[in-house]
Amino acid sequence: MQASSRQLIQYPLHLIFHPFDGYWELKYERNQRTTLMIAWIILAALMVTTILQAQYSGFLVNFNNPKRLNSLMEMVYVIVPVLFWCTANWSLTTLMDGEGKFSEIFMSTCFALVPLILVQFPWIWLSLIISNQETAFYYFFNMAATAWTVYLLFVGNMTVHQYSPAKTVLTMLLTLVAMAFMAFLCLLFFSLVQQIVSFAATIYQELVLRG
Amino acid sequence: MLNSVWKKSGWLTLGLACLLCLGNAASTAFADGQTNAYNYSYWGDAVRSPAAYEATGIVTGKELDIGPFKEPNDMHVTADQRVYVLDSGNSRIVELNQEMKLTRVIDSFDHDGTKDKFKLPQGLYVSDSGQLLIADTGNQRVVHLDKQGQLIKIVEQPQSELLKPDFQFKPLRVVMDKGERIYVMAEGVFDGFMEFNSDGTFASFIGANRVQVDPVVYLWKRFATRQQRSQMVMFTPTEFTNMDMDGEGFIYATSGDKTGLPIKKLNAQGLDILRREGYYPPQGDLLYSNEKGPSRLIDVDVGDSDMYSVLDANMGRIFTYNGDGYLLHMFGGIGNRLGQFNTPVSLERVGDRMLVLDKALGEITVFQTTEYGRTLHEAVRSYFNGDEEGSAANFAKAADMNANLEYAYAGIGKALLRQKDYAESTQYFKRSMEREGYSKAFLLYRKELLREHFSWIMSGLLLVIVMVVIAFIVRRQRRGSTHASIK
Repeated sequence: MQASSRQLIQYPLHLIFHPFDGYWELKYERNQRTTLMIAWIILAALMVTTILQAQYSGFLVNFNNPKRLNSLMEMVYVIVPVLFWCTANWSLTTLMDGEGKFSEIFMSTCFALVPLILVQFPWIWLSLIISNQETAFYYFFNMAATAWTVYLLFVGNMTVHQYSPAKTVLTMLLTLVAMAFMAFLCLLFFSLVQQIVSFAATIYQELVLRG
Repeated sequence: MLNSVWKKSGWLTLGLACLLCLGNAASTAFADGQTNAYNYSYWGDAVRSPAAYEATGIVTGKELDIGPFKEPNDMHVTADQRVYVLDSGNSRIVELNQEMKLTRVIDSFDHDGTKDKFKLPQGLYVSDSGQLLIADTGNQRVVHLDKQGQLIKIVEQPQSELLKPDFQFKPLRVVMDKGERIYVMAEGVFDGFMEFNSDGTFASFIGANRVQVDPVVYLWKRFATRQQRSQMVMFTPTEFTNMDMDGEGFIYATSGDKTGLPIKKLNAQGLDILRREGYYPPQGDLLYSNEKGPSRLIDVDVGDSDMYSVLDANMGRIFTYNGDGYLLHMFGGIGNRLGQFNTPVSLERVGDRMLVLDKALGEITVFQTTEYGRTLHEAVRSYFNGDEEGSAANFAKAADMNANLEYAYAGIGKALLRQKDYAESTQYFKRSMEREGYSKAFLLYRKELLREHFSWIMSGLLLVIVMVVIAFIVRRQRRGSTHASIK
């Protein structure tokens, strides 16, 4: 199958409107390399959207302190949760008879993020011309996009792992728990490393000052 | 060649050195004197601000030739700017006139023919008609004197079912409203202020603080047996630390509430009606070190136009808010210089001046508003009185003196909105992070813009629709023809 530029756009759009078909195609029919590329593009697009949103959203809906904005951190806020989700999901589903490979999980997750981009991107500019009463629409569309993404995640999980709906819901909830657990372990690890580094630094300093 | 490069770099170095000197000069100028004032921005950062008050002098008992003040606890100022100081350690009341000169000393009163004295009084209130109320703590009573110092009545230990049988009446602070009802803040009373009728009988409690419950302690209590529970600390509401009454009879009260809302404005029912529309609820310092902890507010003084000031005993700072709860300015501090205190206990406003009483040093520091402070107060005052033009002009002036004063920009924005300069108005509202006002101005601006360019927008829209329809038809026909050719 050829990855024409047309398909790059058409396929994700097809997927978000026909998730069952789309995810089935993703798992069994499509070229994995192309799909992976599309997934990365989607993730990058979401990062760009997030950064633009933080910077350019209208005054009425933008509560970011411009002094504290950091595009790199905004990117981290996108990529870390996605990777955490994929890792946690993969770790769980390998134990729970899931049929998905890691790449499939990653791709399905990324494709589920398309509605966020589609809805939030235009609203960055629309939010510049709305008044306080109309911010309700902004929040409504954001909520809708999130709900849509969650639904796509659900279908993606179900198709990729070939689970029953009930089991999918359970897995997704457990994934969240696993993510929290991973976050805790990461924090623990980093703080331990920090302690070790500062310990070594102190010893070094001590030696230098004595010698 | 080399020489010229050397020359150039020499000039460059000289220039940089000059810049360095300039920078240093600026920072030293910044650090000295009275400019340690700040304000909190919308984002909660402390930003520099010019001083709104500066200390002009100190009044001590020695200067007044009546012997030094000994642990003075309270102070009050009447509408005609006479200052009353409660010199607790010497059990006397010192009255000063407008120029802070001694008028008289009250240390006793005629009680049914005998001379009665105070015993370690803690609180003092002077009504606008000059009647004095003294919380005579040591004698467990509130003494009510008239203008000449003649006894009107004495409020003794109240008898009520609401009080425990072993209740000891130890009044600390006292205020009186226009209907001569007396409100007393007493030691060990957690139920709020004690309200007394004009004849001195106990009416009820008003305005109790809410109980603050620590969730962890609460969980422990759930699991504890009745006996264990009885030995645990009770959940008690925080006590008030001070109170003041404004011209309309509302009580402003401060409490040691660390997590909740330390400043309250109580109406006659005892409900808190303080407006908290500012960037942060009024609470003194937002940023503080762990070691010092949050502000411990121990006095409040209500000025005109709903402005009020609170005194923080922790850092010796005085914070002034307007009626909406915006922080206008702060000044003061703990230290040994003029304008700093050791243990500030009481705060009073005398027109343009602010008086702060120091308990340990027994002295009153007199502060005078600066140009900046006067401008800001005038702006708030004229806004309060509905004079938006005047307030905008004053706010603009204040903003000129202090570009960090975000609050002022909203005032300017409001005036511009009224003058129908919507585009400019939105900018000012945005600068003061005033979303409500921004939205109002923006809606009008949008309407204006749409009306002005209506023809262009409509024709553009029509054009787009027509083009889309044409493209659709063309595409359909093409597809039809290709399909036909395949057949």
